[in-house]
Amino acid sequence: MAKGKALGLLMLLVAGLALSGAAAEVLTIYTAYDADQAQVYIEAFEATHPDIDVEWVRLSSGEVYTRLLAEAANPQASLWFGGSNTSHIAAAKAGLLEPYKESLAWQYISPQFKDPDGLWIGLYVGYIGFVSNTEFLAEVGAEAPTSWQDLLKPEFKGEITIAYAFASGTAYTTLAGMLTAIGSSDPGFDEEDEAYVAAFNEQVGQYNSSGSAAATMVGLGEFGVGCVFSHDIVKKAIAKGYPVVMTFPAEGTSYEIGGMALIKGGPQLELAKVFYDWAMTKEAQDLYEQFFRLPLNPEAVLAEGSVKATDVNVLPIDLVWYGDNKDAMLDEWSEITGEY
Amino acid sequence: MKLDAYRRELRGEVRRLVHDPVLLGIVGIVFLLLAVFIVFPLVKVIQHSIWHQGAFQPRYFVEFFQKTYYWRPLINSLIVGGLVSLCGTIVAFIFAYGIARTDIPGKGFFRLIAMMPIVSPPFLIALAAILLLGNHGVITEALKLKWDIYGLSGLVLTETLAYFPIAFMILEGVLSKIDPSIEEAALDMGASKLRTFFTVTLPLAVPGIASAMLLVFIRSLEDFGNPVVIQGRFRVLTVAIYHAAVGRYNLPLGATLAIFMLLPTLMIFVVQKYYVARRSYVTVTGKPSGIGLKTIEKRIKIPIFIAMSLLAGGILLMYGVVLFGSFTKLWGYDNSLTWANYRYVFSVGGQYIWDTLKIALIATPVGGLLSIMIAYLVVRKRFIGRGAMEFTSMLNFAVPGVVVGIGYVLAFNTPPVQLTGTALIIILVFIFRRMPVGIRDGIAQLQQIDPAIEEASSSLGAGFFRTFTRVTLPLVAPAFLSGLVYIFVRCMTAISAVIFVVSAGWQLLTVALLYEVDQANLAAAAAYGYVIIGIVLSAIVLMRFVVSRLFRGRLAPLGGE
Repeated sequence: MAKGKALGLLMLLVAGLALSGAAAEVLTIYTAYDADQAQVYIEAFEATHPDIDVEWVRLSSGEVYTRLLAEAANPQASLWFGGSNTSHIAAAKAGLLEPYKESLAWQYISPQFKDPDGLWIGLYVGYIGFVSNTEFLAEVGAEAPTSWQDLLKPEFKGEITIAYAFASGTAYTTLAGMLTAIGSSDPGFDEEDEAYVAAFNEQVGQYNSSGSAAATMVGLGEFGVGCVFSHDIVKKAIAKGYPVVMTFPAEGTSYEIGGMALIKGGPQLELAKVFYDWAMTKEAQDLYEQFFRLPLNPEAVLAEGSVKATDVNVLPIDLVWYGDNKDAMLDEWSEITGEY
Repeated sequence: MKLDAYRRELRGEVRRLVHDPVLLGIVGIVFLLLAVFIVFPLVKVIQHSIWHQGAFQPRYFVEFFQKTYYWRPLINSLIVGGLVSLCGTIVAFIFAYGIARTDIPGKGFFRLIAMMPIVSPPFLIALAAILLLGNHGVITEALKLKWDIYGLSGLVLTETLAYFPIAFMILEGVLSKIDPSIEEAALDMGASKLRTFFTVTLPLAVPGIASAMLLVFIRSLEDFGNPVVIQGRFRVLTVAIYHAAVGRYNLPLGATLAIFMLLPTLMIFVVQKYYVARRSYVTVTGKPSGIGLKTIEKRIKIPIFIAMSLLAGGILLMYGVVLFGSFTKLWGYDNSLTWANYRYVFSVGGQYIWDTLKIALIATPVGGLLSIMIAYLVVRKRFIGRGAMEFTSMLNFAVPGVVVGIGYVLAFNTPPVQLTGTALIIILVFIFRRMPVGIRDGIAQLQQIDPAIEEASSSLGAGFFRTFTRVTLPLVAPAFLSGLVYIFVRCMTAISAVIFVVSAGWQLLTVALLYEVDQANLAAAAAYGYVIIGIVLSAIVLMRFVVSRLFRGRLAPLGGE
């Protein structure tokens, strides 16, 4: 009988474990920031809003878009925080986002940094750069790449690392840059673009799912060259003291608008709006300083060492077009690279 | 004539069921669970591969043969599988022979090493391979190697080390149970030791070797964690399925690829179970008559001992470098020691640890009880559809984790059974993935018990349920509880199926580990790995303690042997 009681107690314990975790109000969000960064932002929000508990999942931009597609019948999250807005645009086109124009920030953000129907808003901008390991460069006797064509140099074969274009905003933004810089600057693939992407694919040693990881891998010396947003290169490689050098393509580099959006049918939209409004405030955007991102709130602080628009040549990329046509672009990219 | 006898037996079975409503109820529930959580997802996978937007459209089946980048991963997976099963079986044979058939010292130590990969997340070895042999790895730098670990060589190395324990367990069993009197007979007739080995020992071991190779082949085919980390541009099918489904949300493509993954594993499973296993030449229950033949010649013993030591050393080195890495600040660049990575795991990952434990602690007892229940039904009871029940519950042995994962996404994303985003779906994946092993072990445990005891119970008037809970369960309890630990370990280290079903509310440690590796945060990944190992080792030690206290003096099973 003692055994029976023990078993009963055990079952109670298990049931108790299952039911534990009753919390305050819970807001579920998807975020494309790296997990350690996202933690900083989210903890800052929770500190100023103690009655809201944020549950978050970190996914790369393309992965958030895919997750929203998969959950369309039953959305699990209410807010999409961060990530290249080409994915937000694609999601908007697929009818997965909820419009929100009532936030105060709507007024001061210029039209190029927000969706006309209020389906997404810009948080920050970033520019694609090349990161190269200096020890590797010395070993092979090469110069750091200063143009898109330089990436095809034979010394870099198998030494380039970048994320999958379908998973990562960094990689898709890089692709958009390549397609604009090479051949004609009309959006989409032309013949020269196809040849270039095919050749670039041969240079890649490994694809992964997270764009900023390339900065770390190049810093570690696992690979020689990577294409990453400059704020990530500065934060994850240069500031850490790895032996790297950051360069930009002379023809012009690609750029992203980091976006935020409400998810249509999300279970906690009112809480999501609270977070949304907070994310556009100076206090929230000042947090970008330590990560070298360029905030779109004009009152927020700009970090020393961050790469600004005046520092680089920027390509005239039609981000809206690339967002609207993301699926088709990725299909073509898969055909050429054999990766999917 | 035969038809009549069959009909009579059938009627007898049905009558038996009807007379014991509890049994009928339980059989019914079990069938329902198996149908919903094993068969239904597979059906959905098949359906999605050929039925698209309301029409019969096997588009990807056709394209599979046309496009290199669709069929190449299958070929790559088969190549890796073949090499891994070969290398893994060779390594396992060396260990098994050394432990079972020689008198080398340190057997306990070697056996421990051979089982280590089982208690850790399999892709931890891939992480170690990068730390040691990556482009910037410790050994690479020290020896100035030009070896690119990303690709086929890395896959074969990591999967061989990860899965040879499976082959080892089979081979050790086989080699230690060969009746020595047969070999003694050969020696008495004048054959040399070498000749005896090749003409008597090895042929007797062949079915075991074949089983080992086939099972390692399946495990290699379905490996997801190692390839994600180290495949480089040598794409394998599991990762392709994952990217198609989760990366592009192209479920028809994912489902089609899943079918192509399922065909070889099912074939191998059927061959192993119904062909090779039937030809076992060793006696299972009999004790060897006399002390087993031990090889004591130095010229055989010493090379084996050296080989085993080198292999053991390599494995220890891998676990060691990961442990060291978990304490470094900036792996490869700043090797100063710090607790920061563990702090990170317990802060950002604290919720993951809690989630994973909660889910594992629910799935383990539920899965264990369900398994032993099914094992009991299959072994002791005669009822209509018994063979089908046994086959279905064993099916998940042959179904790769990614196929289960995509099947659960397809089956439970929409009504009538909508479970995505919940803990329940993860629990279900754990329960039904682990079930075949649980049932097989349950059958082995039940076969130790003389049915006469249970018959005595039922002839005294106890129904099926009473007999099961009051007589059977207590008798198998020690082995059952030990079996639970195995389920728990697999829950803590699983990745290939659950990566499809984690969500905002419920994250798992293995998925978090994989994310850190993807981010090249190798030190943080190493810390996650050792947190998992720590939890698993604690569980094993705890269970050993509990079993020995609860069953003091009652460890010997009763009944026939």
